[in-house]
Amino acid sequence: MSNQPTSKDDQEEQKSKKPADTAFKQQRLPAWQPIITADTALPVFLIIGLLFIPIGIVLVVTSERVLEYDLDYTEGNCMSTTVSNTTCAKVLQNGGSSCTCDIPINLDQPFTGKVYFYYGLVNYYQNHRRYVKSRDDNQLLGKTDAVSKDCQPFQKSVNGSDYTPCGAIANSKFNDSLTLVFNGSQTVPLLNTGIAWTTDKDVKFKNPNNASTYFQNNPPPPNWKYTAWDLDKNNSDNNGYKNEDFIVWMRTAAMPAFRKLYRRLNTNSSQTFQGGLPQGNYTLKVQYNYPVINFSGRKQFIISTTSWMGGKNPFLGWAYIVVGIVCMIAFVVFFILHKTWKLQNRPPT
Amino acid sequence: WRHIGFTFLTFFILFNNLIPISLQITVDLVKFIQAYFINWDKDMYDSETDTPANARTSNLNEELGQVKYIFSDKTGTLTKNEMIFKQCSISGIMYGSGNLAEFNNYELLKNLEQHETRDEIREFLTLLATCHTVVPENKAYTELPTEVAYQASSPDEFALVTAMKLLGIVFYSRTPDSVTINFRGEKEEYKILNVLEFSSDRKRMSVIIRTPRNEIKLYCKGADSVILERLAADDQHVKETGEHLENFANSGLRTLCLGYRTLTNEEYNIWSTKYREASTAINNRNELVAEVANQIECNLKLLGATGIEDKLQDQVSESLTMLHKAGIKIWVLTGDKKETAINIGYSCKLLSNQMLNLTLDEANLEDTQRQLRQHCQQFGDSLRKENPASLVIEGQTLKYALQAPCRQDFLDLAISCKTVICCRVSPKQKAEVVELVKRSVDAITLAIGDGANDVGMIQAAHVGVGIMGREGVQAACASDYTIGQFRFLTKLLFVHGVWSYRRLCKVLLYSFYKNICLYVMELWFAFHNGFSGQILFERWTIGIYNVIFTAAPPMALGLLDRSCNAATMMEYPAIYRMSQNRTDFNIKIFWTWCLNAVYHSIILYFMSYRMLRHDIVHDSGIVLGSHLYLGNLIYTYVVFVVCLKAGLESDSWTLLTHIAIWGSIASWFIFFAIYSYVWPTFPVAPEMRGMAKYVFSSPSFWFGLLLIPITALLADFIYNCIQRTFYKTLMQEVQEKEVKHQDLSDLVASRQTPAAPRATERLALLKSVFTRTRTPREVGIIDRPYHGFAFSQEENGVVPQDQLIRTYDTNIEKPPGY
Repeated sequence: MSNQPTSKDDQEEQKSKKPADTAFKQQRLPAWQPIITADTALPVFLIIGLLFIPIGIVLVVTSERVLEYDLDYTEGNCMSTTVSNTTCAKVLQNGGSSCTCDIPINLDQPFTGKVYFYYGLVNYYQNHRRYVKSRDDNQLLGKTDAVSKDCQPFQKSVNGSDYTPCGAIANSKFNDSLTLVFNGSQTVPLLNTGIAWTTDKDVKFKNPNNASTYFQNNPPPPNWKYTAWDLDKNNSDNNGYKNEDFIVWMRTAAMPAFRKLYRRLNTNSSQTFQGGLPQGNYTLKVQYNYPVINFSGRKQFIISTTSWMGGKNPFLGWAYIVVGIVCMIAFVVFFILHKTWKLQNRPPT
Repeated sequence: WRHIGFTFLTFFILFNNLIPISLQITVDLVKFIQAYFINWDKDMYDSETDTPANARTSNLNEELGQVKYIFSDKTGTLTKNEMIFKQCSISGIMYGSGNLAEFNNYELLKNLEQHETRDEIREFLTLLATCHTVVPENKAYTELPTEVAYQASSPDEFALVTAMKLLGIVFYSRTPDSVTINFRGEKEEYKILNVLEFSSDRKRMSVIIRTPRNEIKLYCKGADSVILERLAADDQHVKETGEHLENFANSGLRTLCLGYRTLTNEEYNIWSTKYREASTAINNRNELVAEVANQIECNLKLLGATGIEDKLQDQVSESLTMLHKAGIKIWVLTGDKKETAINIGYSCKLLSNQMLNLTLDEANLEDTQRQLRQHCQQFGDSLRKENPASLVIEGQTLKYALQAPCRQDFLDLAISCKTVICCRVSPKQKAEVVELVKRSVDAITLAIGDGANDVGMIQAAHVGVGIMGREGVQAACASDYTIGQFRFLTKLLFVHGVWSYRRLCKVLLYSFYKNICLYVMELWFAFHNGFSGQILFERWTIGIYNVIFTAAPPMALGLLDRSCNAATMMEYPAIYRMSQNRTDFNIKIFWTWCLNAVYHSIILYFMSYRMLRHDIVHDSGIVLGSHLYLGNLIYTYVVFVVCLKAGLESDSWTLLTHIAIWGSIASWFIFFAIYSYVWPTFPVAPEMRGMAKYVFSSPSFWFGLLLIPITALLADFIYNCIQRTFYKTLMQEVQEKEVKHQDLSDLVASRQTPAAPRATERLALLKSVFTRTRTPREVGIIDRPYHGFAFSQEENGVVPQDQLIRTYDTNIEKPPGY
């Protein structure tokens, strides 16, 4: 009952066209007004400087602790073991289908902890638009429908059946095989699993039912010497589309110079390699199948340890340090300007 | 060739978003809501008529912030069309005060009883009650003052007669040859012998009456200039009355001088015969009548003067002063006569003695042309600049001035003046004047009016403002904005206009910025993918960049940003000059923003590229693979930089601004996380699968997130710092004072004092230039002291006033109307 008069008032207020007096409608919302001048910005520069320089130092040190060994084996140092005085690159250019070479590697310090082996390709545009497009993700999910036109020109073989897998990416899969021998006799034990994104391995790549017959009945891409079911005969979980070398390759690189994870060091199989790669002499045995000379590409073999940040990458740390220093300089300059400016602007007394 | 063609097409498609399509939608939406802010403003709500301001279009909000010319109607817009008797001077004694709303009659009535000048006072009051052409409407046929209403063709006379009624001198009956008044209880009948009509040339009106005491008297009222020269030689109150007149004029009152003389029977009879002859003459009748009238209107005895206020709308002169301060030039286009227009000019302080007040009143094209040319030459270097000058021009002269040979000179002259008043202009001429200025000057024009005769100019101007008045809704219907009172114009321009303009500029610049910042990235990536046209980002994430991730910050800029609060902007109209001169949006600023966007994209792309180029950003040794990893990482940084840039450009962070900025950033994270899990459940974006997991699990991503956006924005931050410290704009200075709750007045002083003495010097200089070779009268400078005569009366009607009043007999009952 007591509310009645107020509701009547409200009604009358609604009848009037008087706009409501709210902070939003009257544009009176309380607001923080940042005023960036030399003196208010001083603490900002100081904080950024004081924060960034230590971070940078930590990152640089972290990166420096990572050990990395790079070896370019495209030409000169990879001399064919069968044809004398000829590089494997030449052998392939002359029409040879395969070639092997041995390259000595000397590690002058031990690579402790987890050790990873990469192959690197340079001047290789895996990010070219038409290359990136040339795949069928449904096929890789194990579906056996006709493949997408995107795979052109590696969609169908001459007899009309789809390539398994189709597309330019799959067709150009890296197929050198690299093995490392310690002290001339002991093969370094390597793992070919755990090198791909787990999401790729678990979700994006699946074999079709009756994989072995499927892959036998359908042709592999023209550049392949064997079917997808021959990628890892020892491990059916790492075979066909689920082969991790294949998966790694299918994740096209962002840049024209890239590296891809090839193998991990198996620290469990042998006493020698329990703590990583010991210091000493190694031989890299290359089965050289992948031609890169005709497009001026380079091939690399890389051994690397990792830190919590990943591989060797001094850039981020130095960038932090530089930005931090810039902020400190800005701080000093603005501090001086602020002082002198104040003096000039002091009102006459 | 085919290859080049395809590459061209590919990149054409790739960069089509550089000019954002979303801009149109963002801008329209922002303007639409800005229009609502105008409608919602309670300060622009007129409680008398229950009308809030109404933006009838949302397209012109920003133009309100750039107005340089205001064309205003007079009656109903500046004035209320209400005349009030305010003050009078009788025999050298001033009655009433300019400060009070009503005439204070106490002293007058006291003096009427016992003062030595009581006879003159009586004569004065009788004159006002009898010497006019008002017709009383006395429905009840009584002498009760409350029952009498008046019909007058002259609002001045209406004001005078009404004032007399309030003093107890009630004019209540008119017959063809007499008027009857009730002089404080005594009924007096005056025979009207002759009425000598008012005309603009004569500037006076007289009646010859026979008083109840059988005396013949001539009562005359008119301009001081004509009355004073017709006085008897020894009049003693001329000096005081003159001073009072000046006093009235300075407070903006319309003045009339009153005089009378007593005639003997013989004198009258001789004159009367002459007059009859003249008024029945076949040739030159008007001249002859005027000539004869002139003969009798002499040897007058000065009674005094009256001051009538033509009531202005509320706060009109304050508003106009503010508009002048904001660098806006004001043109009053009125159908009224020159005197009235000048009078209003003074009362609303559009004209003042601190200005060079020019008038133009020429009867033919050649004279107009010559006079215009001369004025323009005399302005010399300051032509087309801001001068302490004003121009009053007659409708007739305006007609010539708008013709081809004069047009440019007229425009040059008018633009050199702060105030231009055009009198006796037709609605069509109003529109023509607006059209002329709009076409020849690179500035925004605004027309404001309330009546149907203003529709033309309201439509001609860039922005039309209608006043919801008593004169119907034609003007309001033709306008872009309607307001209830003239005074709301200041808030509409100074607050809503400036805000809308500044906000829209920011929205436009920011929209270009954010799109360039993202899409130029594709160019940098093209260097790394052999110009194949590969896009760096996933296509749907690009698609909804403008729809979700960066949709809110421009809205926040466009709706919530404000550098000063409304009160400050009203207090300090000079801020308006910034938006008026388009300092916030010009080609230089546009390219600065574009370059800024390119700079940001370079920092973002190449730093991210350098950070990821070693491919290994996880401790598990796996490689990141896929350009999309780089793409998504950069995209995250772009969203950060672009949203924070909005914050950096924002002068005020309200709660909603925070939500817009941080919410946009959060929306990307949420979208990214979800979108990375849709394949293969839904057949989209297989290449996104697992991205969020690997991006978020990389420490490099998080360290980059701290470093790269800050690095990109550091330059902007330092630039703002330097600009704000050393090259502060007026707006920023005002804002700082406001934030610190300091008094603005010293700032106003510090920015304005150097200009003030220069203004007086300029005025003196101008005056001396103009009067070097000619007298002020030749030049057309308004005389000083200004005596404020203005009297409106219908002239040259079909029925002369003399006959008109003789057709009425208010004692006879009107025939009932059907």
